[in-house]
Amino acid sequence: MDKEILKEIFLLLIEVIKAFCEIIWKKIKGFFCLIWDRFFGVTDISSPDRVEEQEWGATGEDTWPVVPDGSLVRKEESQPRGKREEVVSAPIIPELPEDYGDNRMVLMVRDPECLFTYWEPRKDVVDNILNALGSMAHSAKMVLRVYDVTDVIFNGNNAHTYFDIEVTGGARSWYIHTGKPNRSFCVDIGFLTPNGTFRLIVRSNQVKTPPAGVSEVVDETWMSIEALYEEIHATEGFGSSESVREKAHKGWQEVIKESVSSFETSRVSPPA
Amino acid sequence: MEKGYLSFILHAHLPFVRHPEYTEFLEEDWLFEAITETYIPLIDVFDKLIEDGVNFRMTVSMSPPLVSMLTDPLLQSRYIRYIEKRIEFAEKEIERTRHQSEFHRLAQMYHGYFTNARYIFAEKYRRNLVAAFKKFQDAGNVEIITCGATHGYFPLMNHNVNAMRAQVRVAVNHYEKHFGRRPGGIWLAECAYEPEIDKILQEAGIRFLIMETHGILFASPRPKYGVYAPIMSPSGIAAFGRDRESSKQVWSAREGYPGDFFYREFYRDVGFDLDYDYVRPYLHGDGKRSNIGIKYYRITGKTDQKEPYCPHKAMERAAEHAGNFLFNREKQIEHLSAVMDRKPIVIAPYDAELFGHWWFEGPRWIDFLFRKMSSDYKTISLITPMEYLEKYPDNQASTPALSSWGYKGYHEYWLNESNDWIYRHLHKAAERMVELAKTYPQRGENSLQNRALNQAARELLLAQSSDWAFIMKTGDMVEYAVKRTKEHIFRFTKLYDDIRSDKIDAAWLSDIEGKDNIFSDIEYHIYQ
Repeated sequence: MDKEILKEIFLLLIEVIKAFCEIIWKKIKGFFCLIWDRFFGVTDISSPDRVEEQEWGATGEDTWPVVPDGSLVRKEESQPRGKREEVVSAPIIPELPEDYGDNRMVLMVRDPECLFTYWEPRKDVVDNILNALGSMAHSAKMVLRVYDVTDVIFNGNNAHTYFDIEVTGGARSWYIHTGKPNRSFCVDIGFLTPNGTFRLIVRSNQVKTPPAGVSEVVDETWMSIEALYEEIHATEGFGSSESVREKAHKGWQEVIKESVSSFETSRVSPPA
Repeated sequence: MEKGYLSFILHAHLPFVRHPEYTEFLEEDWLFEAITETYIPLIDVFDKLIEDGVNFRMTVSMSPPLVSMLTDPLLQSRYIRYIEKRIEFAEKEIERTRHQSEFHRLAQMYHGYFTNARYIFAEKYRRNLVAAFKKFQDAGNVEIITCGATHGYFPLMNHNVNAMRAQVRVAVNHYEKHFGRRPGGIWLAECAYEPEIDKILQEAGIRFLIMETHGILFASPRPKYGVYAPIMSPSGIAAFGRDRESSKQVWSAREGYPGDFFYREFYRDVGFDLDYDYVRPYLHGDGKRSNIGIKYYRITGKTDQKEPYCPHKAMERAAEHAGNFLFNREKQIEHLSAVMDRKPIVIAPYDAELFGHWWFEGPRWIDFLFRKMSSDYKTISLITPMEYLEKYPDNQASTPALSSWGYKGYHEYWLNESNDWIYRHLHKAAERMVELAKTYPQRGENSLQNRALNQAARELLLAQSSDWAFIMKTGDMVEYAVKRTKEHIFRFTKLYDDIRSDKIDAAWLSDIEGKDNIFSDIEYHIYQ
């Protein structure tokens, strides 16, 4: 009886060692494949092992399997396994640079009431400011200072109004809700100390938000015909994008199935 | 004598998707489906209208990426393979459904439909569908207009005038190459109007553009005629605004025609409905179920129990809907002409791919519409924007408002948490491209360097396609859009670094020239 148990344990151990060796072997093989692909930039998808090891894209929508090294290889249809199918170039797509070594801030208009800004503060500029702030540096906050510069040549001090937004969480971009159509804006990013000192890192370009309603300006020689404007609800319902690519994902028939509202309204409240 | 005009405009665009490095590629089906279901049916309709002597006017914007793909030999041969597989599948379906008469007739219909597509594509137009549209333009029935080079979203690249100018100039040159004349008008990608674009269009000889309704209604000074006559921008470009009423009739869930219960149900494709092993040879390599293009059911109603499609009944409905559309336009134009001191123009723009691809009966609806107009409706005449400008050259000067036809009417769909990361890279690449063009102002003797500079311009343009940001927001196929964006920016950046350090990798350059082969005769000097 004891012998039987020992035999069982022994066989079990053998199985465990075998499985362990297989894992090690796959790892070594994968590692060498990775090195090979990285240096020679070629992936041979003819190996049945490789095909079986491929994982599918996370969304399940993209149709190329992702091989372990991150290169994208499409499994070909209707070609017998084992036969050399195709050697495809599978370039590794590296991540894009985090920054470009600039000290810059770019401001963009999203809609009449909202701006978007992204920035890239250069380390030496930030360090200089923090050094200059000395003991106040640790209590300084990074803020966006949003200026209304409508109809002025902005010199840093002549904005109509401004407000600050504290930048948190290492953000590198921000959506700024101004709620002000038809106005011009400029944004500074900098450090604000508790005593109110603001030290500029970089200033953005200027932008102008579009009007959100019918113009008050009327040309006397082209007096507008009021009957043509009677049914306009200035901010409602515009922008029913008709791009077929959106429907490719949502589908107007699906919208119809939901039967909630018109297609246009659905575009205002798209599905999450 | 007509009281007003209807200007019917179709915007035909697909992003540049061409992957010679794979023997087949799922996203290339976007083009093949649009060829089969939209472009060929439209060409068929136009040809028959002309044969029958029906005088019609239509404006079609054809984006440069679409024209490039339609004239690309690799994609043309892949389309033949695509359509032949459909014909083969339809033959199997005829056999499989031989004891089910309703489906059998439909299988025969699809067989005829695919066979006709193959005939029009391969024999009638010898694989070049752009030649078909050119023929309609030369005959005076269709006016082809252009679009930004790669459907770039102008308001989100407005920091760089050179980048915007390149999008326009490359498009205009491309148009001239394919259509043998300069384009009269432009369709701004997503109807996204940016005031800075105005002067660039004028320099390129563009006469008119199409805008979303509020781009005109919010213009300043207030446009006298609303959207029912063009306004002249500061640089003298005529801006025509979309009429919401006519759009709504085609698109709206409540009032729109495509949701009619007798029309074909888009979402019941045999690729999903039939036995997996049976359809497997016609799916892509990954074996994932996808559309094959045969759909047997009609919309039926708010139910999953779909009735078989009846083509005869659907055609009756398309004819009725064409009549209804014209009845409403007639009433609208009568009303407008009563308050206006000139003949109004109603601008009805749609995505071309709605017709046929999404709304299967759409091309026939257009056919019925144009035939009815030429015989029964005297109140309305079809017109192109250019013809309207010839009749009414004096228009009110007014500055159009920034706008788009996207979600909420502005840029949010292309600028949100899902895609805002792309702009710092796109802007930097555009800035660097201008820097390169200024650093290397002359065509040097170093042809490798010239090739690298031209390829850098191609990569930038491809990265700027508004489609990638759009797809990132939709949430489907996101990986592909991200991959394309990163790939083009990466290729651009490597080219930039290689050119600056005078270490151009000739083999790698040849490889990407073969892949991203759009705009073969581009000259990077356009960025100067």
